[in-house]
Amino acid sequence: MLLFSRSKILSVCRSLLLMGLGVTMSVHAQSTEDVAFFRDQVKPILEKNCFECHGGSDGKGGYKMKSGLQLISRKGLLKGGLHGTAFNEKNPEKSLLLEVISYRNDDLQMPPKNKLPDAEIALITEWLRRGAPWTPEDAEMMREIHEPMADVTTVNEKTKSHWSYKSMTRPSVPESAAFPHPIDRFLEVQRQQHGLIANPPANKAELLRRASLDLTGLAPTLQQIKEFENDTSPDAWSKQIDRLLSSPQYGEKWGRHWLDLVRYSESNGFERDAEKPMIWRYRDYVIDAFNQDKPYDQFLLEQLAGDEIEHPTRESLIATGYHRLMQWDDEPADPLQHSFDIIDDNVRITTETMLGMTVGCARCHDHKGDPIPQKDYFQFASFFRNISPIAKGDGNLRNVPAAHVKFVSQPREWENEKKILLEKMASAEDEFRQRTEAAGITGPIADVALITDARKRPWKWHYTFDTPTNDWNQVGFRAEMQQWKQGFAGFGTSVPGAKAKTPWITQDIWLQTTFLLESIPTSLVMSLYHDEDIEIYCNGQPVYQKEKYLLEYEEKEVSDAFIAALQTGRNVIAVHVKQSSGGQFFDMGLMIQGRPLRREMLADNSPQMSDSQREEYRQWNERLAEIDKLLAQSKDQALTVAENGEKVPPTFIHLRGSAHAEGDEVQPAFPLIFGGETAQIMPTAASQSSGRRLALAKWITRADNPRTARVMVNRLWQHHFGRGLSSTPNDFGFLGTAATHPQLLDWMAMEFVEKNWSIKAMHRLIMTSAAYQMSNRRNDANLAKDPANEQWWRFQPRRMTSEELRDNILAVTGELNLQQGGPSIYIPIPEEVLATSSTKGSKWGKSAPDQVNRRTVYAVSKRSLAVPLLTEHDQADTDNPCPVRFATIVPTQALGMIHSDFIHQKAKAFSQRLQREAGADAATKIRMAYQLALQREPLESELKRALEFLDLMQQQEKLDPEVSMQRFCIAVFSFNEFIFID
Amino acid sequence: MIHIPNFCGQIHRREFIHQLGGGFTSLALTGLLGQSGFFSQAQAAEMMANPLAPREPQLPAKAKSVIFLFMYGGPSHMDTFDYKPKLYPLDGKTIPIKTFGRGGKKNEGRVVGPKWKFQQYGQCGKYVSDLFPHTAQCVDDIAFIHSMTADSPIHGSAMLMMNSGSLLSGKPSLGSWLNYGLGSMNENLPGYVVMLDQSGGPISGAKNWSSGYMPASYQGVVFRSQGDPILNLADKNGMNRTQQRSLLDYLGDVNHSHLQGREDHTDLASRIASYELAYRMQSTAPEAIDLELEPEHIKALYGMDQPRTADFGRKCLLARRLVERGVRFIQIYSGGAHNDANWDAHGDLETNHNLHAGNTDKAIAGLLKDLKQRGLLEETLVVWGGEFGRQPTAEYAAGTGRDHNSYGFTMWMAGGGIKGGISYGETDELGSQAVVNRCQVKHLHATILHQMGIDPNKLNYFYNGLEQKLVGVEEIEPIHEIMA
Repeated sequence: MLLFSRSKILSVCRSLLLMGLGVTMSVHAQSTEDVAFFRDQVKPILEKNCFECHGGSDGKGGYKMKSGLQLISRKGLLKGGLHGTAFNEKNPEKSLLLEVISYRNDDLQMPPKNKLPDAEIALITEWLRRGAPWTPEDAEMMREIHEPMADVTTVNEKTKSHWSYKSMTRPSVPESAAFPHPIDRFLEVQRQQHGLIANPPANKAELLRRASLDLTGLAPTLQQIKEFENDTSPDAWSKQIDRLLSSPQYGEKWGRHWLDLVRYSESNGFERDAEKPMIWRYRDYVIDAFNQDKPYDQFLLEQLAGDEIEHPTRESLIATGYHRLMQWDDEPADPLQHSFDIIDDNVRITTETMLGMTVGCARCHDHKGDPIPQKDYFQFASFFRNISPIAKGDGNLRNVPAAHVKFVSQPREWENEKKILLEKMASAEDEFRQRTEAAGITGPIADVALITDARKRPWKWHYTFDTPTNDWNQVGFRAEMQQWKQGFAGFGTSVPGAKAKTPWITQDIWLQTTFLLESIPTSLVMSLYHDEDIEIYCNGQPVYQKEKYLLEYEEKEVSDAFIAALQTGRNVIAVHVKQSSGGQFFDMGLMIQGRPLRREMLADNSPQMSDSQREEYRQWNERLAEIDKLLAQSKDQALTVAENGEKVPPTFIHLRGSAHAEGDEVQPAFPLIFGGETAQIMPTAASQSSGRRLALAKWITRADNPRTARVMVNRLWQHHFGRGLSSTPNDFGFLGTAATHPQLLDWMAMEFVEKNWSIKAMHRLIMTSAAYQMSNRRNDANLAKDPANEQWWRFQPRRMTSEELRDNILAVTGELNLQQGGPSIYIPIPEEVLATSSTKGSKWGKSAPDQVNRRTVYAVSKRSLAVPLLTEHDQADTDNPCPVRFATIVPTQALGMIHSDFIHQKAKAFSQRLQREAGADAATKIRMAYQLALQREPLESELKRALEFLDLMQQQEKLDPEVSMQRFCIAVFSFNEFIFID
Repeated sequence: MIHIPNFCGQIHRREFIHQLGGGFTSLALTGLLGQSGFFSQAQAAEMMANPLAPREPQLPAKAKSVIFLFMYGGPSHMDTFDYKPKLYPLDGKTIPIKTFGRGGKKNEGRVVGPKWKFQQYGQCGKYVSDLFPHTAQCVDDIAFIHSMTADSPIHGSAMLMMNSGSLLSGKPSLGSWLNYGLGSMNENLPGYVVMLDQSGGPISGAKNWSSGYMPASYQGVVFRSQGDPILNLADKNGMNRTQQRSLLDYLGDVNHSHLQGREDHTDLASRIASYELAYRMQSTAPEAIDLELEPEHIKALYGMDQPRTADFGRKCLLARRLVERGVRFIQIYSGGAHNDANWDAHGDLETNHNLHAGNTDKAIAGLLKDLKQRGLLEETLVVWGGEFGRQPTAEYAAGTGRDHNSYGFTMWMAGGGIKGGISYGETDELGSQAVVNRCQVKHLHATILHQMGIDPNKLNYFYNGLEQKLVGVEEIEPIHEIMA
């Protein structure tokens, strides 16, 4: 270690001191009587209860030292473990050992299984009071700690010279007569050393299919292949690369790689799995950034600190949604610890994604395999310390001023459509009511008031004008225990048509009330009068939110979310109303309505509606829900980061990672292995922010950062070639895999920085190499020497990703909708799968048919519900960063590809397209199917075999030609030639 | 057959096995497994080709399969198996008591006396409440753990904890770890089966049977007890089996032609084979769930002759049939969705627990008895419990509802080398918290792994720069005291 942390220096000093005083101590403090007391009365207790985990044998030749504590000697007692010394010499009563064995500390109770009897605790207390005397023969005994990777877990000459910790230098490009391209020259040197011969080029059709799928995730058309084949100009290939790079589909494919890394999902996970509102704007930001070839340094800077840069833009603000992507428990058992879990998630993602470093491993202790001390972790965490907590509902949204708003015309269209729908539904409801009444269904059952509004009987609420603690809207929050006042509704000043009973003249009011439910109603009607912005929570769930004010009472059925939040027994309603100018008012009522007409009509069994009427009404209802969602989504807002002002709370090291056990305070600084310099925090233009993230972003994006460029060029290589030069793209440390071609990696990284961090420039560089254009065919001599193709003697084939599979099937059927951006769309999920959700999938929406056919990157991603076709094909996990996708082959994929409704629907659409475009002749259809799916003509033998199959379906199975053709289409979707990329 | 040529995570490192043939990044998986030190290089190589290939357990295995009866929502321990005579007379009295549940942390509460009588059963004389008269007859085969604790009294995180050992999602669940460690004994059936309650899935849905950072091959497969047991197993679109056979023959021909010259790319052949395996599953899986093959007296034993217990009984009987066919891990949920659709008795304790215990008791006892009479109980570990227990005090001013309690609750195990007729650990005399031999969820997990022949401290998967373990990084002991 070059530098000692303060605590380590102290502990070293302390032990030096003790050694010096050793003699005095034994004479002065350890009387024979005290030693005997220890030996006879205390030591047996320790032996029985403590030694096993704190210094005892592990039965495998080593020792157990939980928390690093050795309680087998006085020295060990004093040295303590991760929580510090166990014995407070000055004040023995305050020794950690006593705190822990007396179970005073909720988070640290020892022995963990059973509390010691009081008599034994008393003996230990007495022993400590006497100065913790110990039997001299073992008072100084210490077990040796064996750390298998000790030489690489400190900053030393070895670790500093590790290929990815040392600075980049620009290697000279090796000479080669045969290969003009620098990449090939680097590769060729090692190929020659291994006696390997590079494969010849792939043919043009293979090459263009490879490039199209790599860059856009979509196969080329046969027409495009023919044009390429016929283009004999010297720059034919680079023209194709440019065409693909300028296609908007490029960003959709490469943006997805980035979304994998940042575990992009649109919900929080856990019980509610609530939506992350407007987070799709971040997804669009990423896609746009790739399409615009935003310099990679700027791309990182905007995500980390787009709000703290000198001139924040709409884009840069949206980019900071990066800090809101993690899973989040809205009712954690331990809120303090969970607030640091959020920061931890940020530390992990940022260090793994941008730096290829697993700093997260050092949260509880120094890293076990890399030179990353625990202090580094907390210094890094302190960059994120001031970020405001993740809020429920719309709490983290901020207005993003739009220079030009996309979808500007759509909200108006949606409003119009909604109006028409509501009219149609109202008339259907009217008719239904008349019919049911005519059929003798007893009239409206009496309403049951849960909360009355002031028009009926003023309701008594708890209220406060003082900003309450964060948990004010939670079920467990007791307004009465917090000295909230009580008063009758309405609150405020007088407004049209209503009088205030309890004056409220300040800006904000928070209210709480409760009601009891014996069973959960299927619907509720809420009456509301508010001035101005209101948010309502039911049992901690955000259930209603509205801006501006009303001029009269409004009555409406509550949302499904409201119903879902209800519980039997006590229910808590918490309300916050905020006014900015003019008067203020609040009153509300809640009742179980006599006849929930809409629900009766949606139910399966009412005889007063025909199936077709019901189906029509259901469709209106679904479309209405969809429009409401789209309208909510089209607000000009984004989920962004925000900080709690310029003043940052201190960051402490957490002993053993526990937020309840604070160690030394730390300041923002960069990892020790890179010099450990303290961050220079400059105040930012935005006064609401500390500037810490900006300092971090500037350090990460420095041209000489040893990791940033290396990590990214390795990813670019990986997504072109199937594996990175280092095959552990998120871990360049000692536990990762070293780059097979470190010089090539460094050379490319330097090029990347010099080309102004242009990702598209790197695509051009990589794709113009011979390596990228090689054929993938076998060469037995090469295979024997390098079966893993570590020396890149051939191009490596791959399976389509889940997104590519779905998108290309839609492209083949002609249904793919290439509309870009905007709120996410719902891909239908089978009923059986929706039923596995605790809410029976009621939160899974439905998109219009043309919207369903958009590219998969635009599909809603929800943490607790996944689309089977996509998970089966190894879609990225959304709880962890996914630097490399699995590509499994399991029979459930085959079941889905043969039996799923999706495949049967697509086979039908494909078959209809063939009928439409190729006519009735089966052979012509087969030819066209080959052209569309495989971008080639079938061989005669292939045509013959397909016709045989169709014939079999028609003759033996008696299927009509159309259904037979659909069966053929199912087979085409499962052709290996379709799913694998040469 | 099943092939993992790619991986999602940071795997490692110098140990790449260069001499092995096969797909590109499949080597990465071998490297990963070899590195972990848990599997031998030979085993790792086999797993590369088939992640579910059966593997010999490293310890002497007591159990081959686990049936986890998950009482979702949190059953009350002091009303079921943890007899607290001193609680009855306190009914209605407000006492100082430290609790932590949905309603937050409290220091006093109104006691709700247990609502059912307890009687002694079996040779061991175990007290069991009248909620479980049938299960009570099996107490001599059961080890009760009364001193369970969990890190969260909130459903979402506590469910994840009981299933995956972590309060946060993204970690592999217990069944995934078992299948990763041991492989499957029957590749025609999934190795990890989940059966949900009729009312719906639990909170967080599929996260509870997720494989987290491991490949999806290890995740739980939702099995329906009636109709099409596995998603897309049966045809719903009018393609009969002979048509499918013809289609697969045609597809096989096309894919075999494509294979010419690409034979070294083993994924292609694997994918061809996976379609044939899927075809076979379509006959083996329905046979596994065909209860028509079971005699009436067996169905009655599981309570299938009674409308109330028919559903859970069917699932328990299915579980036995799946165990017979080599499925490693089966989880059956009692309770689903929200509120009183599961054991979450916040309002009316009696109605809630009478309902859920009444729906399951006969079936659970039937399962234990049937396994035992077939000699299967010796090699099948049955686990019963929820994500936490309930508080001795009332949640609201009125009523009998109890809030969540993770400070102390009961779970039990039977079979699979577990000692019967014993009770381990204790809560205090009110049942509010575990005080003697306190156990954490990881001890329970360690015990299950141990009985299955896996050293819980060795089973690991390298991810995120760490050798990840189900039981956490610190060494942990399984509960030896309940082992036979």
